[in-house]
Amino acid sequence: MNDLLAIFFQLMLIAVAIAIIFHQNQFTIIILMSVFSLIVATLYMLNQAPDVAIAEVAINAAIIPLIYVIAISRQRELIVLDTLHHGQNLSIDALQGEVYDFLKQFAKKNRLKINLCCDLTLHEKTLFDDMNIDLIIYQNEDNPSHYILKGKSSNVLLTSLEKAKQSYKNIALEVFKDEVHYD
Amino acid sequence: MTKYLALPLLIFMGFFLWYGTDNLVLINTDIARNFFQNEGFFDTASLNIVTAIYLDYRLLDTLFEAGILLIAVSGISWIAQHEHIEHNPLFMLDKLKIPELFISLARIVYPIILLFGIYIILNGHLAPGGGFQGGSVIASAILILYYIDLNKKTSINLILNIEKIIYLGFLMIAFISFFTRDSLFTNFIPLEQDPQIRALFLVLLNILIGSKVAIGLTAIFVGFLKEGR
Repeated sequence: MNDLLAIFFQLMLIAVAIAIIFHQNQFTIIILMSVFSLIVATLYMLNQAPDVAIAEVAINAAIIPLIYVIAISRQRELIVLDTLHHGQNLSIDALQGEVYDFLKQFAKKNRLKINLCCDLTLHEKTLFDDMNIDLIIYQNEDNPSHYILKGKSSNVLLTSLEKAKQSYKNIALEVFKDEVHYD
Repeated sequence: MTKYLALPLLIFMGFFLWYGTDNLVLINTDIARNFFQNEGFFDTASLNIVTAIYLDYRLLDTLFEAGILLIAVSGISWIAQHEHIEHNPLFMLDKLKIPELFISLARIVYPIILLFGIYIILNGHLAPGGGFQGGSVIASAILILYYIDLNKKTSINLILNIEKIIYLGFLMIAFISFFTRDSLFTNFIPLEQDPQIRALFLVLLNILIGSKVAIGLTAIFVGFLKEGR
């Protein structure tokens, strides 16, 4: 009987693992991962290892999902540095202009939230690498009504940003080439 | 290039795995199991053989394991630190809508989880469980508190200092046996004593390990929570 149960749970493990890979919603994936570790804990229990099963349930089914929920909800922010309004503490809703409308629409479409900051003057490399900034807004020096958005090349948002900006003629997109680390 | 280097490495490791498991029959005997079943309770006063091994026979390994957890927590808090003033430290978390049902249920379940964790720690030498397991159960109860109130203020440095002090106490208690029984890293109460008195050593170490693990896992979570801009 125990052998049959073990085979059943192992098959379930394979099914849940495939579901984790192919599912789209991140929060569902977290739930599936804790289901996975609950099944693994049951298998430990069937193999007479209750000590390991308790540790598995407590760590992988409770603590790691709790950490993942916080980490994933943090990923939904778009950090934008505004060089036009330097030194002012503003929120994006108070600002008027084509760039801000574009960014607001882009954020709404991709369900992101914009974190606007105006208080940094550092070298671009430190801004992108250390301060983890996604986009920088510049004003075009020759033509004040034109804006330049600059993002780093390893950012996954750049392609969808490129697609979204096609209807806006006054906005140009520049790419900051950062070194890709293989670690 | 690094991708293709991985293939010979894989073959190399696979060969050693195959070579190592080839003579498994030689070590897969009953000798170790019979030894622990017959001598375990007399040597360590622990009914749970797993606890007997990790808190008496192999206490040195447990010391290093606890040290590794401390190093990992310190590393995470070092990566998560930042000197500049945080613009909006709880950004996005105010958007995270935690359901009312979760909060009300968590308030009911929280003391029960805490009690269960303490039970697992204190019964570690009698039933399955022990310091690490109970500590992680307590840590999951504490993490639920952060979900009820996200603005909870916690200082990582204070947590880390408490953890270091607990680790030092753990080392010292493990050392006492050098003076009382002339051997390092075992129970410091002499073998002639009643098993129930000797089990106090196991309970003490389990409590220390449990509190250390609970504090360490909380520190990791707070490190993630405070990650600012």
